[in-house]
Amino acid sequence: MAAATTDDTGLRKGRFAPYGLLSPGILWLLLFFLVPVVMLVKASLSTKPSRFAEPEFAWDFSNYTAALSEYSPEFIRSFLYAGIATVLAILIGYPLAYWIATCGGRWKNFLIGLVVVPFFTSYLIRTIAWTSILQDDGVVTGLYQLLPWVGSDGRILATPMAVVGGLTYNFISFMILPIYVSLEKIDFRLTEAAADLGCAPWRAFRKVVLPLSLPGIFAGSLLVFIPAAGDYLNARYLGSPQTSMIGTVVQNKFLVQFDYPQAAALSLVLMVIITVMVLVYSRFLGTEGLAV
Amino acid sequence: MTNRVTRRRFLVSTAALGGLAAGSTALAACGGSEESGSSTTAAGGGGAAANTLTFDNWTLYIDKPNDDLFGEGGTLAEFQKATGIEVEYTEGINDNNELFAKIQPLLSKGDPIGSTIIAPTFWMAGRLLQLGWLDKLPLAEIPNAANLIPSLQDPPSDPTGEYSLPWQSGMAGIAYNQAITGRELTTMDDMWDPAFNGKIGMLTEMRDTIGLIALSLGIDLADPDSQDYQPAFAKLEEEVANGQIRQFTGNDYVDDLEQGNFAACIGWSGDVAQLSVSNPDIKFVVPESGGTLWFDTMVIPKGSTAEQIEAAGKFMNFVYDPVNAARITEFVQYISPVQGVQEELRKMGGEAATLADNQLLFPNASTLARLQTWGTLSVEKEQQMDEEFARISGA
Amino acid sequence: MAEGAAPPVVAEVRPATGSTRASRAGSGWGRRILTLVAIAAYVWLFLPILNIVVFSFNDPAGKYNLSWDGFTLANWADPFKDAQLTEAFWRSLIVAAVAVTIALAMGSFIAIALSRYRFTGNKATEVFLILPLTTPEIVLGASLYQLFLGRDVVLGQATVTIAHIMFLVSFVAMTVKARVRGFDWTVEDAAMDLGARPLRVFWKVTFPLILPGILAAALLSFALSLDDYIVTDFTRGEFTTFPIQVNNAFRVSYPPQVNVLATLILIVTLILFTIGPLSQRRRSRAT
Repeated sequence: MAAATTDDTGLRKGRFAPYGLLSPGILWLLLFFLVPVVMLVKASLSTKPSRFAEPEFAWDFSNYTAALSEYSPEFIRSFLYAGIATVLAILIGYPLAYWIATCGGRWKNFLIGLVVVPFFTSYLIRTIAWTSILQDDGVVTGLYQLLPWVGSDGRILATPMAVVGGLTYNFISFMILPIYVSLEKIDFRLTEAAADLGCAPWRAFRKVVLPLSLPGIFAGSLLVFIPAAGDYLNARYLGSPQTSMIGTVVQNKFLVQFDYPQAAALSLVLMVIITVMVLVYSRFLGTEGLAV
Repeated sequence: MTNRVTRRRFLVSTAALGGLAAGSTALAACGGSEESGSSTTAAGGGGAAANTLTFDNWTLYIDKPNDDLFGEGGTLAEFQKATGIEVEYTEGINDNNELFAKIQPLLSKGDPIGSTIIAPTFWMAGRLLQLGWLDKLPLAEIPNAANLIPSLQDPPSDPTGEYSLPWQSGMAGIAYNQAITGRELTTMDDMWDPAFNGKIGMLTEMRDTIGLIALSLGIDLADPDSQDYQPAFAKLEEEVANGQIRQFTGNDYVDDLEQGNFAACIGWSGDVAQLSVSNPDIKFVVPESGGTLWFDTMVIPKGSTAEQIEAAGKFMNFVYDPVNAARITEFVQYISPVQGVQEELRKMGGEAATLADNQLLFPNASTLARLQTWGTLSVEKEQQMDEEFARISGA
Repeated sequence: MAEGAAPPVVAEVRPATGSTRASRAGSGWGRRILTLVAIAAYVWLFLPILNIVVFSFNDPAGKYNLSWDGFTLANWADPFKDAQLTEAFWRSLIVAAVAVTIALAMGSFIAIALSRYRFTGNKATEVFLILPLTTPEIVLGASLYQLFLGRDVVLGQATVTIAHIMFLVSFVAMTVKARVRGFDWTVEDAAMDLGARPLRVFWKVTFPLILPGILAAALLSFALSLDDYIVTDFTRGEFTTFPIQVNNAFRVSYPPQVNVLATLILIVTLILFTIGPLSQRRRSRAT
């Protein structure tokens, strides 16, 4: 058995070790995720003779054609909302993570914990609190109505804005934490050195810190965009009939219409589209993508 | 060299340990569940002796003395005292469709679901009956079934009355916040008042939403297969398109009414009974054109043993005794299906006695005359209506 | 720090002189704006929490704790008043503790394997890890349910825990990977060249370096597990967790005890997070 060899960056070409490390988690997922997904694929190609009959496997692709033709508005809307939420999460989350990493000092762990602590409450509890804060007669909505293009019958709740806001709020920890952990390992003496050499702070940030924190941004974007695209709770509680997302359709198809084949097809289409998007995104990020 | 090999081995063995831990958790699941209350099992009828009974119900649908379902003096405790039967009561039902999704795979294979009694809403009970998944009630054990109020006898969902007994009942009508509407509402047309644009809510419960709209258009609900509900759907779609209807909600409309996001919505009588205690501006009215009467039922899905069914019968008989029914109503505050509850509440005095005069719990004759219960929809028609409703409500 | 080698990677201890702080975070005004943004973000994060805490002191007249009826301490005097709610509360905590611990171990191993080794299937594994996140929860829950049914598995605490571990592993792996990516692993070689045994290397060198990633993943996972509804609902049988109980009960009531229990979780976790920095102060005083 050859000993592990290393190359220049310290990466190892492992023969046995990596598979050993991977096996518990991957086996778990294979059993409790992949097997159900295979069942899903089978279901998506099935038909049901009547609403409450068992699905019959029939290599039937009509569920897929329906998924793409009838529900493309929901797909597009979901990706749009999730995309905006991801960008907002970066815009809000990065500065916060940066501040904690650089100014946090001894209290870093406390401050980063503070970011997640609100989400130890139940989603319903938080949403009720938000509807209380954003209610039509509340202070926040009153301020919003002062904006020139809004007027006195503007509202925050039951709008796309509220849905995107809810998505951003509920997933922002998933952006902040990965960015923080990647920022936290940066040796900021590099930026100090750059400053000593006369480099403007913004430039130092752009050239040194930002690239080093890219893995965090990448991980955070995935952890926000992916579940947000499939979400339905925010659209349901904070949205209106016009804001329904693909998750809403899947939920309905499965639970109310009891159309498991159609729900399965929609889910698989969602999975495929998102996976493709992620691959493109990782390529776009260059060397910080999935490969290395 | 030696060091590295050892380290690799160390990492691998740690990983293996982790895998073992994970694997044993998985194996534990296959062994048996240790949790209190019954577990949903896919095989075996449980074989419980006739001195326990499993009843899965909606949350907070039975009295809860000292904030404990099994508290002293409560219905469950009293039942155990009277018959020696312990009720393994769970509050697992949140939604009829979710319930169906969970029990369908079991019942279609002929497996028991783990609970002897469940409490689906009448139309779901009707579906279960249509699919042949219900056992007959042991009516011999339930002489008190004679106490069932006339308006709920032999419902369309169970024409012979042999498969279900109502648990609680309620009305769907207009719930509104008078502080926002500025006036009383009495008809469905009030819901379409342009002054309330963007402040009207509808229920995700298709039968209640379409039911009220259909009744306002003069379309009956008793024999649905003979009617065309397209005008009701068209009206709903119109009001969604012009922004009159803000949202389709489940129970969370109580939140929106309270916060002032809804001026009015279709709501349920029991919720308003609760809300109006802390906010007297919130009112409930059955529209002039009519409202829907719904009820949740006790049914026995197939798979229970004869002893379990007998125990279930004893329980149903117990809760159909007006004294016990009154105790439940005092807490739950929905419409009781048992005759004589009003008098029992008056006897109890205090707050219970005021409930006896509450129109939401004991609607008078003229209100009752305006209420209709949905007849049973054929599978095809129900499917078509559910899909149309989902399309319009943005689900 | 006994190793003696001078690793070029980040050290935990940084000289906290005034000038270095300033140049690290930019000039004075830049730093002030950053602090303002951070504070604004925290306010936004905690706005609903404030609402929840305030309403935990409410004395609602009816069963819905939605409008202010009067101040009371009674809810706090008896937070465990509702037997079923409290039971569900503890159950959620236990499930989360077990699921997070196991998922942390498995997920961290995956992260290390993916970042430190080059092997066939590296990229495929990375893509595979994303998939559980892309599947809508209703579908995850329902298909797991079918799986358990098909194997005649009894649904309850164990199946819920299994399901939670399943969707947590990907989150953990990605969060820890963000920390581990780009490491200079020659640190470990240096340590071992100096004679440290493998176990010691792991605990004294590797583990402290990835610890922030693990802690962050632990936090996220705990929140995810506590809050999960749909997957839990399908895999639980009769086993009730806190969100199940709250969501189901909302049909008829919304008691202030819900707010109290929610606030309690907040307080306990905040206390836990304060212990760390306080004990650190003592330690650095000693050295």
